[in-house]
Amino acid sequence: MVQKSFTLKNKMGFHMRPAQVFVGAMAKYPADIKIEFNGKEIDGKSIMNIMASCMKCGSEITVKCSGENEEAMLAEAAAMIESGFGEE
Amino acid sequence: MLQGIGASPGYGIGKAIIIEDANLDYSSVKYSGAQEEKDRLYKAVEQFNEETREMAEGLKKSAGEKEAEILEGHITMLADPFMLSQMEENIDSGAVAEAAVDTVCTMFYDMFAAIEDEMMRQRASDVKDIKDTLIKILLGVKSIDISAVAKDSILIANDFTPSMTSQINGDNVAAIITEVGGVTSHSAILARAMGIPASLSAPNCMNVIQNGDMLIVDGFKGKVYINPSDDEINEFRQKQKVYLEEKEGLKVYFNKKTVTKSGLVKKVYGNIGKPDDAQNVIQNGGEGIGLFRTEFLFMDRDHEPTEEEQFEAYSTVAKTMDGKEVIIRTLDIGGDKAIDYLKIGREDNPFLGFRAIRYCLKNKELYKKQIRSILRAACFGDIKIMLPLVTCLEEVRQAKELIAECEQELENEGIKYRKAPLGVMIETPSAAIISDLLAKEVEFFSIGTNDLTGYTMAVDRGNANVSHLYDVFQPSVLRAIEMTIKNAKAAGIMVGMCGEAAANELLIPKLVEWGLDEFSVTPSSILKTRKTICECE
Repeated sequence: MVQKSFTLKNKMGFHMRPAQVFVGAMAKYPADIKIEFNGKEIDGKSIMNIMASCMKCGSEITVKCSGENEEAMLAEAAAMIESGFGEE
Repeated sequence: MLQGIGASPGYGIGKAIIIEDANLDYSSVKYSGAQEEKDRLYKAVEQFNEETREMAEGLKKSAGEKEAEILEGHITMLADPFMLSQMEENIDSGAVAEAAVDTVCTMFYDMFAAIEDEMMRQRASDVKDIKDTLIKILLGVKSIDISAVAKDSILIANDFTPSMTSQINGDNVAAIITEVGGVTSHSAILARAMGIPASLSAPNCMNVIQNGDMLIVDGFKGKVYINPSDDEINEFRQKQKVYLEEKEGLKVYFNKKTVTKSGLVKKVYGNIGKPDDAQNVIQNGGEGIGLFRTEFLFMDRDHEPTEEEQFEAYSTVAKTMDGKEVIIRTLDIGGDKAIDYLKIGREDNPFLGFRAIRYCLKNKELYKKQIRSILRAACFGDIKIMLPLVTCLEEVRQAKELIAECEQELENEGIKYRKAPLGVMIETPSAAIISDLLAKEVEFFSIGTNDLTGYTMAVDRGNANVSHLYDVFQPSVLRAIEMTIKNAKAAGIMVGMCGEAAANELLIPKLVEWGLDEFSVTPSSILKTRKTICECE
């Protein structure tokens, strides 16, 4: 298992569009992805759970990947989160 | 009378059609085995995706991309592996497909609805929409065909879901009324996009109004009049007529050429500050962009933008404008627009100091990056370069040298570019006075009336003690404008105006008479300006 922590930077947080893009990218990997936020563990492949968790700008989250190709999966997740999903 | 929220302007007069929520009772559906129920579920999901995609396509045409995205989002939400596996688990433990959909969607609905956030509430209504549509498909229930209602119908519903609004035909629907929702709700956004008057959150409207009632909807004030008197109907027909005439009056200028009564052809352009604004110019009937302020790229950050970033911004605008002219003004900082990392320093007289072209010519590396990116973007459209705050010929000549250098560099590096015609802004008295000489150096002028008025009258418009002197109708300012236009005409070059005065109804007839070719105004003033020009001799 590999993991990394982030602070969400884009203004709107994990709303519909970022969640859509994120889930789409993560679905390509067979490994599992969990997002730890506020003491809860969220399935990183479920757009509904991501949106319902209400992660906002400034939220501290930890992303955990485990399984085949987990390093690459975490790297791609990190790139998306760190770039603020290409939003302000 | 019902008092709702006026959520989309206009007046609607017509007959009520109440859209009841369809009967989604599935208690009589019998469980036919796990595999069967899953097959039914996945068949319904498939049909849902197909129908939703079709509706999204239709919506793109009637209301635009943004509205359609909401429906496309429904497909993504339903494709959630977690959601579908939960439904399967429900089926495995003995639930019919309808019950599985109901249970799982309701769980998410409750989760979203519990969050105090407008956007999350929108997601909650999305989930409800998905649930109702899926159950309708599973039960084979047909709801009222909203797309086929008679002309002058007023639709009343608890709320309009995206899948409902996508079927609304703007020609037949005179207004909409809902029991819930506000100005930012989906129904409101769509109603405005389609130009349909709307009163939302009209209390208890589903019960108070009967099918077939005559209604008046005042979309400005949110009022709904039920079975009004003939006098009231006539009063509102009159109001409606005036409103529509005004709206139509400008609309006819949308596709109209800008031609005066005597046949002089003019151009009305838009001023923009960000690439996104270009869309706004198109939507308001602009024939081009007469002023693209590039400062936004440099502001609100701690280092200058790269050539790539600038290229991206300029080429985006060129592509959006699809061959229409785009005049890009090079960096106009200093004065009241200070940027820390450019290190201009504190000045006693910033408006007479180190700003705009003066700064750029002393910071050649920075300036060349901007010029290079403009020349590269010119491959994607009709781009022109405009120099701000020019006061003498040397500045123009130096800028030309720099542009030639950039062209040579791009050539050597094998990077694609195109030559861009050069123009200057006439916004100092000095430039106006030597406009005959400047006209021999460049291919166009654009008169910046805001600074020209300030510099000519030597007045700070922000200083209440002297601001009365800031007036474009002062004879000295008018003479500077007239002189500039006449010198441009004598030299045979194009002359435009990009200050606020270009939209001034009183000044426009004079500008036309003197021979101004192009009027660049804020996008929302484009149609009005075109109308004023078309009414000139």
